Amino acid sequence: MFDFFIHVASIACLYGVLALSLNLQAGFTGLVNFGLIALFGCGTYGAALASGMGWHPLLGLPAGIAMAALLGLFYARLGRKLSSDYWGIATLSIAEIIRISITNEQALTGGAQGISGLPLLFAGLKPYDGMARLALYVVVLALVWLFCQRLVKSAFGLSMKLMREEPQLARSLGYDLDRIRRVVMLVSSAIAAFAGFLYAHYLTFVGPDQLVSPETFLIWSMVIIGGVANNRGVIAGAFLMQFAMAYVPFIKDALELPTDFVAAARLIIVGGGLLAFLLWRPKGLFPEKVGGSNGR
Amino acid sequence: MIEAKDIRAGYGDGADILTGISLSADRREIVTILGPNGCGKSTLLKTIAGYVRPRAGSITFGGTDVTAVPIHEKVRHHKVGYVPQTDNVFGTLTVAENILLGARQLAKTEKEKRFAALMDQYPALAGKKTRKASALSGGERQILSLARALIAGPEILLLDEPSAGLSPLMMHEVFDAIGAIRDSEGMCILMVEQNAFEALGIADRAYVLSLGQVAMTAKASDLLEDPAMRKLYLGGEVHAE
Ligand SMILES: Nc1ncnc2c1ncn2[C@@H]1O[C@H](COP(=O)(O)OP(=O)(O)OP(=O)(O)O)[C@@H](O)[C@H]1O
Ligand SMILES: [Mg+2]
Repeated sequence: MFDFFIHVASIACLYGVLALSLNLQAGFTGLVNFGLIALFGCGTYGAALASGMGWHPLLGLPAGIAMAALLGLFYARLGRKLSSDYWGIATLSIAEIIRISITNEQALTGGAQGISGLPLLFAGLKPYDGMARLALYVVVLALVWLFCQRLVKSAFGLSMKLMREEPQLARSLGYDLDRIRRVVMLVSSAIAAFAGFLYAHYLTFVGPDQLVSPETFLIWSMVIIGGVANNRGVIAGAFLMQFAMAYVPFIKDALELPTDFVAAARLIIVGGGLLAFLLWRPKGLFPEKVGGSNGR
Repeated sequence: MIEAKDIRAGYGDGADILTGISLSADRREIVTILGPNGCGKSTLLKTIAGYVRPRAGSITFGGTDVTAVPIHEKVRHHKVGYVPQTDNVFGTLTVAENILLGARQLAKTEKEKRFAALMDQYPALAGKKTRKASALSGGERQILSLARALIAGPEILLLDEPSAGLSPLMMHEVFDAIGAIRDSEGMCILMVEQNAFEALGIADRAYVLSLGQVAMTAKASDLLEDPAMRKLYLGGEVHAE
């Protein structure tokens, strides 16, 4: 039971990092990205690449971040021409194209089977390895949170929010929206890839099934439930969602419900939770603190 | 100061909205653009501002070619201020924060000096400095967006219907303020307007647009006198004032 708790908390930390990444894009800048999971995938496949090529495992991190940066810049580039809703659909399609390509490609990515046998982080510390990993993830989450806080409170952070609120007006005040979009996508893509890299070395397995679009929507639900444009909130959202989903099987056992219940209940938690919050608490558990920028 | 020649422009891959417009405006001059709804007034202003890139023709500011320069660069490097027709404030920021956004390029002392001067000039804003802009009335928002454009000290001011939605009293206040800017700062002001009589009252010259072209251009005073023009473009025989 304790190990299970450590496991869920570990996953929640990594999803917290992903939620922070999405929050920079969608929460603060208004970049409605439905293809976030592909950026995460750059990180997982960066780790897989290093393993497949026989590199030092740590080299998978720069490889993943480089791929994510390219993909993020490509997303940003599309945003120059497309309006927000079409951009969302375009990012979703690209993420799906990438996932399907990986599934049908054998030589590099191992296709649908994926790549297994990645080194587990801190494997040598048994039986305390789980706790050591969790400690690392907590530190990473805290550092990413700190970075995001500083970013959104900076002058650049103000420009992100202005772009979200009144993009055309922001332009008339000298803000270059293409540049803002580029920088936000670059930074947040690197963060998502970082989460992917850690995730790959946690599960020790990388596969295309980890990149299905419901994963993106799960992260969206964390952001919306936790509080759009509130960094603390989206971390809370990530933990809430992960724990709610992880403990569904226990509820099933306690109530002696059929096994089908688990998958269905998880869907209900994501979909129903989203709906409930959108209806009754649209700003999430922790609403955004607005203003207070002294006009920088 | 502003020289636009044979401008053709439109949105996306749609048809041309502007089908060959030439226009000029000088320092210390208010030029107003009139015409019926949908004739392309805002599009013309957006093209000159740099939101819409012209498909043909050229635009120069003070002799410098700026045809393809986007809005954010015009604001930063060519001393242009633009006040949009709608969505002209950041609602979540305070009045003061909104205004200071226009002064990002200025040094701190200069910024504070100009801010104080604007507050003296527009007491309606001074009293609400710390209020959120979303709590302002439509007229107050117009004044706020004007002040925000002015704080940077532009040489060219592009205004899209500054009097839209204002009460007659407020309208006069805004027009008086615009006239005062021309006289004190020697600014070149290009102003789209629906309230033709009022606009012609402070403008030096006017262009009347129709279907994406200049149907007529004249001195503002002449246009006010011309009965045919009144009938055609200014709405019947109604007298000004
Ligand atoms: N963003 C846009 N995309 C496509 N077409 C547009 C866009 N903005 C305006 N138009 C079209 O261009 C034409 C001219 O619009 P414009 O806004 O320039 O008119 P206007 O003279 O300013 O009208 P109004 O007095 O109502 O403000 C209209 O037919 C309008 O439908
Ligand atoms: Mg208009």
